[in-house]
Amino acid sequence: MKLFRWWRGILLAFLLLAVLRFFLPLPFSNEIIIFSIYTMGCSFLLGRVGFISFGQPAYLATGAYATAFYLFYFGTNPYIGILIGILAGLLISLIVGPLFVRLRSDYFALVNLALAVIIFYMLQKVLVDITKGDNGLWFLTNIASTPVLDLSKPNHFYIFAFLVALAIWALYKYLNDTIYGACCLASKINEDKVKFLGYSNFKIRLTAFVIANTTTALAGSMYAIYLGFVSPEMTSAHRAADPVVVTILGGVGTLYGPIVGAIAYTGMKDLISGLIGNWELFIGFLLVFIMLAGEKGIWGTLEPLLKKALFRKNAFKSE
Amino acid sequence: MMDTQLLISGVIFGLSIGSIFFLMAIGLSLCFGLMRIISLDQLLYYSIGAYITYSISLVTGSLWLGALAGMVVAGVISFGVERFIFLRIYERDIAFTMIASFGVLIGGVGVIKSIWGVIPRPVPIPMVTQISILGTEVPFYRLLVVVISLLVYVAIWLFLNRTIIGKAIRAGIEDVEHVEGLGINVYRLFTTTFIIAGTLSGLAGGLHAPLIMVDPQMGLEVMPFVFMVVIIGGLGSIKGTLISAFLVGQVVSLGSLIYAPLAQMAPFAIMLLILLIKPTGLYGSKLLKR
Amino acid sequence: MNNGEILTVRNLNVSYGEAKVLFDIDLGVKPGQVVACVGRNGAGKSTLLKSIAGFLKPLSGSVTCDGIGLIGLMSYDIAKMGIKYIPQDKKVFSDLTVRENLELGSYATKDYNWDQVTDYFPKLKQLMDRKAGHLSGGERQMLMIGRAILGSPKVLLIDEPTEGLAPSIVSHLRVVFGELRKKSSLVIVEQNLPLICAISDKVYAIKEGRIIKELAGESVKANICEQYL
Repeated sequence: MKLFRWWRGILLAFLLLAVLRFFLPLPFSNEIIIFSIYTMGCSFLLGRVGFISFGQPAYLATGAYATAFYLFYFGTNPYIGILIGILAGLLISLIVGPLFVRLRSDYFALVNLALAVIIFYMLQKVLVDITKGDNGLWFLTNIASTPVLDLSKPNHFYIFAFLVALAIWALYKYLNDTIYGACCLASKINEDKVKFLGYSNFKIRLTAFVIANTTTALAGSMYAIYLGFVSPEMTSAHRAADPVVVTILGGVGTLYGPIVGAIAYTGMKDLISGLIGNWELFIGFLLVFIMLAGEKGIWGTLEPLLKKALFRKNAFKSE
Repeated sequence: MMDTQLLISGVIFGLSIGSIFFLMAIGLSLCFGLMRIISLDQLLYYSIGAYITYSISLVTGSLWLGALAGMVVAGVISFGVERFIFLRIYERDIAFTMIASFGVLIGGVGVIKSIWGVIPRPVPIPMVTQISILGTEVPFYRLLVVVISLLVYVAIWLFLNRTIIGKAIRAGIEDVEHVEGLGINVYRLFTTTFIIAGTLSGLAGGLHAPLIMVDPQMGLEVMPFVFMVVIIGGLGSIKGTLISAFLVGQVVSLGSLIYAPLAQMAPFAIMLLILLIKPTGLYGSKLLKR
Repeated sequence: MNNGEILTVRNLNVSYGEAKVLFDIDLGVKPGQVVACVGRNGAGKSTLLKSIAGFLKPLSGSVTCDGIGLIGLMSYDIAKMGIKYIPQDKKVFSDLTVRENLELGSYATKDYNWDQVTDYFPKLKQLMDRKAGHLSGGERQMLMIGRAILGSPKVLLIDEPTEGLAPSIVSHLRVVFGELRKKSSLVIVEQNLPLICAISDKVYAIKEGRIIKELAGESVKANICEQYL
């Protein structure tokens, strides 16, 4: 029973996703799933550790390009590609992490954005010989068919992405419930007192940073395999705010926020850019509007209401 | 070894580009110091300043008139943005203001595209005079840009140290609540600071326009450099911003003489190095709350 | 209606987010009165002062000064009306000189008569051009009180003025408070019982966000107050 309660929220969220699969076109569902994996890391950083990362595209691109390099130049197995993407994400977050997590959260936001722009330049200009610059790397035909789940087929890919997302949600849920999650929250609220308790802020934040950005890199390599090509455009400054916006749209710090936010944001973006040519203008005003509208986001507003409606009896019991 | 001619023109180029960075970064830095917002929309006022300069100088033939108009328009727009957007969300977490300002930037770029189109436009340099420094011919306009930015620095310094509003702003950078407690309307200070920042960004755009082509993405192109300037100098410090602006300018210019991609990479490496030694930048204060 | 009170607080409820801190606070200050609030740390004394000064938005209740409601006003407007809050953190604007600190006080109130400040605190006269960050704790407190009394405020809300100060400065402040009450009412949050008993007309004992005892006149004695600390 206890285990069921622990899983309840996740199962509900995923039931929603699974149901949506039959109502929405497949590319859109895939987009949503990858996007919500992408946002999980950012949501964790912002909600739990208090770091606003405007540089998530940097880690996304790291994962995506690592996978792309493997599939373009060396091998054909998409699973190994994803593994390499994760390793690359782990590597870059271990390199920049110790430097970045010492910073105050405002510097952190700026430095991350700077990193994203630098990686953009590197992919576009500096490493043009191997990244093919703005043309991007195309390797859709290089991806080999694999047994059981064939990632080169979009419907199989959906199942795979679904399972990955479920695993990552479970991981974050688990993290939130452990003492480590409590430490993260504590270091967000009052770092001095965490120090007095004998925990190291640096270690707490570095771990969070590495976990979050490895997740982001994973999302990146899944993008790469799903689309079959990568280009520097994915790190462009225009998209820097995407994960943070989705996080806030879904509600900061809520576990199911990323999925709700991803559905809403991807939907709005697709709708708007389909209808109107000058999408930048509308995305811009959309962002301003969302920021002005509410602090809790969509999920944060809905969650208490839903809880009241669905779990009234249980809520009383647990108190 | 580099020959001296190349070196001197490189240094002058670095100084002028550093001046532009300074004019933009000072707004970001002041806004952060006083209001604790990261105002990415300064990059929009920069683009607006450049485009107004382009249009006015096309009509009147005078760049100076254009830059002046650019400053005014940028200031007015920043006033409107502050009134209608930031005033409502100052109290909230820094992420909100940052995304809202990002939205203003993206939306504004969209507006610029729909007014002026996406094709880059050239702005003629107002003076082609070259003057000779140690036997090297350097464009007089670039030197003028440096002089203007130094004048702005002096003016800002005088404003902050000699006028009562400037002193209130300095006090507010330390602690806004105490300024409020004395009975000073801090929101008026916020608005003043924001307009100053927007105007200076507009001036930066106007002065930069003849040196590059104006195009809708120009704000996003200087963004990393302005960020690095602000981070290296330390958020909220005027002196630090000046020093780091010229430092980054030199690194960009001299770096690109050695190996072109260094122009982008070297400042970033320096930023990481400085953050490694001092996480708050050169002159950033640890006393700042949050 | 306000029975001669200059500052009246009725049924004030305040919360920090979810946690409620103050419950139905009633408080009255008459002109020229010195009112002290005592209580343990975390009892809500500082919260009370901050809510009166407009830095916190109360859930419900009313705060009136001379018949004007203060709830919902911006804190700088409240300060302009003559209700000055002196926080306990002893943070002066350390980057500014003492002179500039005082100038800011004058700028808000349009009162440029600094003699009143230097009469109370002659020491500040020699320190005028010193950066406020280089002052000692006692000098900072003098400066904070000095810049607040410009514009002759009606009510001074002083949060733990003697915390961490040397005894000689405490006794100096005691004299100053005695002088100040001729012009303004004082609401003081304090742990220093001898000081409270020497200067206050009324003592409110606060515990866990509620006023549990109101002492006035003869009963303001150290041994009585002590049990509420």
